[in-house]
Amino acid sequence: MSDVATNKRAQRQAAGPYGKIGQTLNELDDRLGIAKGGRTFMDKIFPDHWSFMLGEIALYSFVILLVTGVFLTLYFVPSVATVIYHGPYKPMDGQRVTEAWDSTMNISFTVRGGLLMRQMHHWACDIFVGAIVVHMARVFFTGAFRKPRELNWTIGLTLLILAIGNGFLGYSLPDDLVSGTGIRIAYSIMESIPFVGSYLAFWVFGGNFPGTATIPRFFILHVLILPLVILGLVGGHLFLLVRQKHTQFPGNGRTEKNVVGSPMFPVFIAKTTGFLFIVGGITALLGALAQINPIWQFGPYDAARISYAVQPDWYMGFLDGALRIWPSWSFMGFGHTIPFEVFIPAVILPGILFNVAYLWPMIERKFTKDNEIHHLLDRPSDRPKHTAFGVAVLVFLAMLHIASSTDVIANFFHLSLESTLWGMRILVIITPLIAYPLAYKICKEMQGYRGSGKRKTHNIVSRTAEGEYVATPTPAYGEDVGHELDATPVPTYIEVEPDEPVESGVRTVER
Amino acid sequence: MTSTLLRRVPLMAAAGFLSVAPLLLFAGSANANSLNPPPTTRKNAGTPNSTIVVKNKSGVVVKYGNKYITYKAPSSKLDALGQALFMENCASCHGSEADGVPANGTSGAYPDLVGLGPATITFWIDSGRMPAKNLAAVQARRGQPALTPFQATAIAAWVNSLLPSYPDIPTPHLKNANVADGAALFALNCAACHTIEGDGDALAASTFSPSLRNIPAFQVVEAIRTGPANMPRFTGNLSDQQVADITKYVTTEIQHPNNPGGFGLGGLGPVAEGFVGLLLGLGLLMLVCYWIGDRS
Amino acid sequence: MSDLEEHRTPVSLNGLSEDDLRLQPLAKNPQTVERVIAVTFLVGTLFVAAFGASYWVNAKPWILGATMGAGLFLLGVGLVAWGKYLMPRGPFVEERHTLANSDADREALAAAIVERGGSVVKRRKMLAGILGGGMGIFGIVALFPLLRSLGPLPKGTLFHTDWKKGSYVVDQTGRRVNVGDLAIGSIVTVFPEGTENSDRGQAVDQTVLIRISNQNFTTQKGRETWGPMGYVAYSKLCTHLGCPVGLYEQQLQLLVCPCHQSMFNVTNGAIPQFGPAPRPLPQLPLYIDANGNIRAQADYDQPVGPGFWERHRVTGSKV
Repeated sequence: MSDVATNKRAQRQAAGPYGKIGQTLNELDDRLGIAKGGRTFMDKIFPDHWSFMLGEIALYSFVILLVTGVFLTLYFVPSVATVIYHGPYKPMDGQRVTEAWDSTMNISFTVRGGLLMRQMHHWACDIFVGAIVVHMARVFFTGAFRKPRELNWTIGLTLLILAIGNGFLGYSLPDDLVSGTGIRIAYSIMESIPFVGSYLAFWVFGGNFPGTATIPRFFILHVLILPLVILGLVGGHLFLLVRQKHTQFPGNGRTEKNVVGSPMFPVFIAKTTGFLFIVGGITALLGALAQINPIWQFGPYDAARISYAVQPDWYMGFLDGALRIWPSWSFMGFGHTIPFEVFIPAVILPGILFNVAYLWPMIERKFTKDNEIHHLLDRPSDRPKHTAFGVAVLVFLAMLHIASSTDVIANFFHLSLESTLWGMRILVIITPLIAYPLAYKICKEMQGYRGSGKRKTHNIVSRTAEGEYVATPTPAYGEDVGHELDATPVPTYIEVEPDEPVESGVRTVER
Repeated sequence: MTSTLLRRVPLMAAAGFLSVAPLLLFAGSANANSLNPPPTTRKNAGTPNSTIVVKNKSGVVVKYGNKYITYKAPSSKLDALGQALFMENCASCHGSEADGVPANGTSGAYPDLVGLGPATITFWIDSGRMPAKNLAAVQARRGQPALTPFQATAIAAWVNSLLPSYPDIPTPHLKNANVADGAALFALNCAACHTIEGDGDALAASTFSPSLRNIPAFQVVEAIRTGPANMPRFTGNLSDQQVADITKYVTTEIQHPNNPGGFGLGGLGPVAEGFVGLLLGLGLLMLVCYWIGDRS
Repeated sequence: MSDLEEHRTPVSLNGLSEDDLRLQPLAKNPQTVERVIAVTFLVGTLFVAAFGASYWVNAKPWILGATMGAGLFLLGVGLVAWGKYLMPRGPFVEERHTLANSDADREALAAAIVERGGSVVKRRKMLAGILGGGMGIFGIVALFPLLRSLGPLPKGTLFHTDWKKGSYVVDQTGRRVNVGDLAIGSIVTVFPEGTENSDRGQAVDQTVLIRISNQNFTTQKGRETWGPMGYVAYSKLCTHLGCPVGLYEQQLQLLVCPCHQSMFNVTNGAIPQFGPAPRPLPQLPLYIDANGNIRAQADYDQPVGPGFWERHRVTGSKV
């Protein structure tokens, strides 16, 4: 046996039973004391139900937003200084544009991979906000926001608002014709607030519209301040999730006192990392194949230009819809004007919506008088009133959203614009009123049919001596299936630490 | 035509209901009065005749016909043929003198065609809007023309012979037109109705701005110069060169848009993007979740 | 295999035998699944490599995205499948411990805060009061410079435009509009001469000039001289949210706002006929000078654009 081989053997032995990795971990533990917590973390159990992954969509699209966003930041110039466009896109050649628009064109046409990154960024944003909404709907309908998780509901709702706000800011940055119109509307909404509106608008925009401060300020908010806040809140959200552990649906072996699912390592890590790739892959495919926000077709913003049929990104749609269908009630008197036609739908309405959402855990406690700690989730059908209320609110928002494209609907179905608008005014009020009893009824029906669709059980038909036929159903699902897949304590397939320390290369450190 | 009418009946009924019921809900709304469009003013809309157009005292002389667009009056030899065709296809509504029928209790007004210029006549016929296929429609839709371009020119020749007027039938020469200037002018003058991507959209009182996606260049010029139906007429405020610029932008970038980013999503902007992002993007991802996770 | 194996502590299974169902993969025939996953990984890797290559040759954006997307997607699907079908199927369970501490611990904390803190503050009420007041005032005072340096106070520019007595009406290229320029049914966006290329001009001064007849046109009582030779001019800023009202329907005589479809009738002073706009568009009084140029008689008689708190105060206008 050569010296080299002996040396290697000696090294390996010195390293202990887990080799290099074990040694590295020991070194880390010497300094950071991670062994116990790390082991606990590796053993952390994640429920396997698919609906628990909706939040992951949001998390991973946020990761994509960060990565693509950093790329875009390298090339975007946040300035409203006027330049003459001379780029590869000829139909805009020679136009007076802002540097913001010019640099976004540069990203789209000159920077290698730039257009893909821009489109991925925008698609990831659309998916990000959507995933938050769907995730929150899951949390709401299953009652996961109840004690002890009210704080995480609050954080999640704040994240939604920040995501919408940051989305709007980012949408505005290219300074194209469509987004410029959006900024104009945002300015007017700010202006509509009684007492302070015009001051607020002047200060945010650095003067009367269009101001010079918008793009630089929006930029720093969009790429630094809001992402930092979002990042911090996501960290807090996840910390609380680990601290309070997951909720779970009731079922085989699942109780208020345990969590059933897959351990962090390796099963969950494999699945979730794979899912990160999948989210990235689908976003990249969308960015590759579906064109989004083609600012070269819109052209630069110019306050005197306007395009018909412009809508904001989808998550602002409900505000635009509310602005459209709210009647023209303006208050004028006592020497002042209160533009209720803007203030109510664009400020009061979202204010009420989000405040009710913030207070919802408290509001619901008032009704249910339920102050218990809940780790097991409700099936939505078990809480028909709660579910019906949520459905009604979602329907209301969806109707407002649809109302933001009355013109497109009227054009598509050859209706008159006026009747479409009136139709939406009515639908916004009526559909939630219909949705509530409908959802309530469906919940009630589902309660009755619980498990009926799961598995048909056979009837054993037998003939009695008298010639009578008797059908005896075989045991139903849940009773006849054995408990062979009941949860087992974690995770015994990994080595269990013996009580006495075995001899190893680990130094005992006195503390 | 019948099917369109039939399809519209329930919609109209619904619309009628919808426009009455909300009054109760929104009583006090400042615009609760239902829309009552004023009578069409086609007749008194006047004509961009030569005296108006050429006598421009401001800096730039605007006149019809130069290297960007040439205008040609239809030959008077076609007058007789045109009159015959007019009597056959148009006179039942517009009258045998082409001076229209004013509105009365049972039917709307049929516009006076005298003095509108040959380009107006050929635009309406060549785009298939006239002779009207659906008299009940608020606004005629583009369609297969019932008459040939030659017949249209002949009709235009006869109507023009009643009172010679501008604009004549244009032929744009787009080689020297500047597509970039056209883009800027399009955004300022056209996008407010036709949308920045040229798709068209619904307007007031069941009118609409048509899509510009497949319109030949000379009809773009005709529409700009004559202002068909509710479209404003662009005369002295746009020079022939500017009209040619717009026309070039419409027939190139609008009709064959540059979509380096993938499928253009029908030019509907954020509406379509929201659908794709939520249904395709988020929807697919939720399906993947459904695959990855357990279902009970 | 290796000698490392010898040093491993024997796996204790806590009552689970190694062939316990929970430790088995979900897949019925793991070999096949493994092969499928391997193929997925391989193809995914190929796509990722193709992404690198297409980036190198600067391929079209959709090729970049398609290769990257397909590669990531396949790698992800493979990894998920590995976790789902080949790793222990579980389920495993973790005990949940109550977050709440014992009553004694709770009391100790409460006591520490209330008794310790309370005794200190209670004894020095005045100090605490002054400090609190000082910090509070600082909080409020600090807000002022922070806000105030963000931008100017809303003064003149909200209430007045650049239109003045005698302003020439020019289009966006700076060309003066002459009485012969527009036919009936024409519309053009105009500015007071000199502002047509400024942001300010485009945002505040923008005006639509419409010709609705051949004679002087009166839109409302008291505006008899405002529409010479049928030229009428309205602010292009919608009174709802300030979008440019550039959509003119010449037969219906309507200006429509493309943003939220407010409709203004140009023949009666742009009174809103439909939609959410609360006020008419302000009308610009015009006259025609000796050279036939169209010019403004004065500025608008009221602030243009959407409503705001102080709108009424300065103008004293009726609408």
